[in-house]
Amino acid sequence: MAEKIISIKDLSKSFGKHEVLRKIDIDIEKGEIICIVGSSGSGKSTLLRCINKLEKQTTGKILFHDKEIRDIQRDINEYRSRVGMVFQSFNLYNHMTVLQNCMLCPRKVLKVSKEEAFDRAITHLKQVGMAPYINAKPAQLSGGQKQRVAIARSLCMNPEVLLFDEPTSALDPEMVGEVLEVMKELATTGLTMIIVTHEMAFARDVSTRTIFMDRGYVAEDDSPAKLFTDPKNPRTREFLSRYLAG
Amino acid sequence: MENPTNSLEWMIFLTEKYLKMFLQGTWLTLYIAVLGTLLGFVLGYIIGIIQDMKVGEGDLFIKKGLVFLLKAIASIYVEIFRDTPMIVQAMIIYYGIRQAGVDLTPVVAGVLVTVLNTGAYMAETVRGGIGSIDQGQREGAWAMGMSPMMTMFYIVLPQAFKNIIPEMGNTFLTNLKMTSVLNVIAVQELFMAAKTVGGNYYKYFESYLVIAVIYFVLCFLFNKLFGLMEAKLKGETDYALAVEYMDNQ
Ligand SMILES: Nc1ncnc2c1ncn2[C@@H]1O[C@H](COP(=O)(O)OP(=O)(O)O)[C@@H](O)[C@H]1O
Ligand SMILES: [Mg+2]
Repeated sequence: MAEKIISIKDLSKSFGKHEVLRKIDIDIEKGEIICIVGSSGSGKSTLLRCINKLEKQTTGKILFHDKEIRDIQRDINEYRSRVGMVFQSFNLYNHMTVLQNCMLCPRKVLKVSKEEAFDRAITHLKQVGMAPYINAKPAQLSGGQKQRVAIARSLCMNPEVLLFDEPTSALDPEMVGEVLEVMKELATTGLTMIIVTHEMAFARDVSTRTIFMDRGYVAEDDSPAKLFTDPKNPRTREFLSRYLAG
Repeated sequence: MENPTNSLEWMIFLTEKYLKMFLQGTWLTLYIAVLGTLLGFVLGYIIGIIQDMKVGEGDLFIKKGLVFLLKAIASIYVEIFRDTPMIVQAMIIYYGIRQAGVDLTPVVAGVLVTVLNTGAYMAETVRGGIGSIDQGQREGAWAMGMSPMMTMFYIVLPQAFKNIIPEMGNTFLTNLKMTSVLNVIAVQELFMAAKTVGGNYYKYFESYLVIAVIYFVLCFLFNKLFGLMEAKLKGETDYALAVEYMDNQ
C-alpha cells in the first residue's frame, strides 16, 4: 500500500451556527489525484482551506504524515510550504514580475540561494509554458497565463501536495484548456493533487478518485469510472445529470 | 533699491535688505517640513501597521494583550492629534516639555510637533492603503508559507506605498505651509521672518507678500517634482519577452 499523506477524520467546520463541513472522512495517499465536485456552497473551498490552515476546523482531525495539523503552530509556515495552493483568482503578487513571483517564497521562506530559486523558477515556468514571460507583470497577462504562473509559483516550493480551488472557474472559456493541459501534465509527475473543479470531463479522465460533496457531507467517494457512470447516491446522479446535460 | 514708493518697490527693498533673514526662514521651513514629514511617515507606517494587526484564536494570551494595548495606544494617539489644532499642540508640547525641566529648542519642538501631527494623519492613510490590497494576495502569500509580517513587508506595504504616494506628496506640501504656525513657539521660520521684517518698517502687507511668493514657489516646484516622480514610479507598461526561453513554445 502506498504511503498515506493526508488523513481527514470526522472533520466538521461551522461558521457561527452555519455548519459548512460535516463529519468528513478522507484518506489521501501519495501520488493520488483527487477531484472534488459538488454544487456551489457545498463546502469544497472550506475543506481545502482547512487543509491549508487558512481556516480552522471546529471538530475532528486533519493528519499530515500522521501528525495533527491543529498542533502545528510554530511550524505553520513550514507546513504550508509543503502543501501548496492554487486559487480561483490566481492571487499573484501584482507588484512583482512573473520571475519575482516565483522566486520570492523559495528565497524568503525556504531560504534557498538566489541561483537555486532562479533555476527552480525557470524549470517550472518552462513546465507551464510561461518562461518567455519572466519579465511581465500579472496585469499584463491573460487569465490563463496568470493561472499557469500561479501553478509554477506553487511548484517552486517543491510541495508534497498541491491544492487547487476551481483553478479554471475565473477564466474565459478559451483559456480553460491551456490550464487543464498543464494540470494533466502535472498529474503524471507523481505529485499529490487535490482539485476542486467543475470540469467533469477533466475529473473523469485525470482523477484517481472523485469525491462528490453535498451540503457539507462527502456524499460519494469513488473511482471516477464508478462515480461518473454508476453513482450510488441519488443526489450525485442528479448533480451529474445537471452538469453532463449542460 | 532706495526710497521705495509703491508696494512692489517695498517688497524688493525688504527682500534686499533682509535677504539673509528670509533665506534663513526658508531654510528652517524646509528643514522642519522635510525632517518632520519623513520621520512622520515612519511613525505613520508604524502606527498604521499596528492598527492593522490581528490576533488569531490560537494566539497566546500575552500576545493578545500586547496587541490590544498597542492598538489602544495607537488609536488614542491618532484621535488626539487629529482632533486638536497643530498650533495648540505646538504650545502644549513646547511649554509642557520645558516645564518638565527639559531644555528644548524651538526648532526641535517644531520638528517634534510636525512628526506627531504627520504620524497621526499618515496612520490613517497607511491603514487605507493597506486595506486597498486585496485579501487574495495575502492569502496567496500565507499559502506559500509566508508569515503575516513577511506578507506585510514583501506584499502589502510595497503596493500600499505606491498607492499612497500622491497622498504623501500632499502631506509634505501641507506641512510646508503648516510650519508657519510654529512662529508661536518662536521658531525663526518664514512666517516669523516676515513678522519681524514687517515690524521694522510697519510694512506688513509687503513683507507677507514676499513670503507668500516664497511659499508659492516652493509648493509649486515640489508639486511638479512629485508629479514627475509619480510618473516615473508608474514605470514601464511594456515588457520584453525573454527570447532565450522561447523554444518549445
Ligand atoms: N468566512 C466565512 N464566513 C461565513 N460563512 C462562510 C465563510 N466562508 C464560507 N462560508 C459559507 O460556507 C458555505 C460553503 O462555502 P464554500 O466552502 O466556499 O463552498 P464551495 O466552495 O463548495 O462553493 C457557504 O454557504 C458559504 O457561504
Ligand atoms: Mg468554492
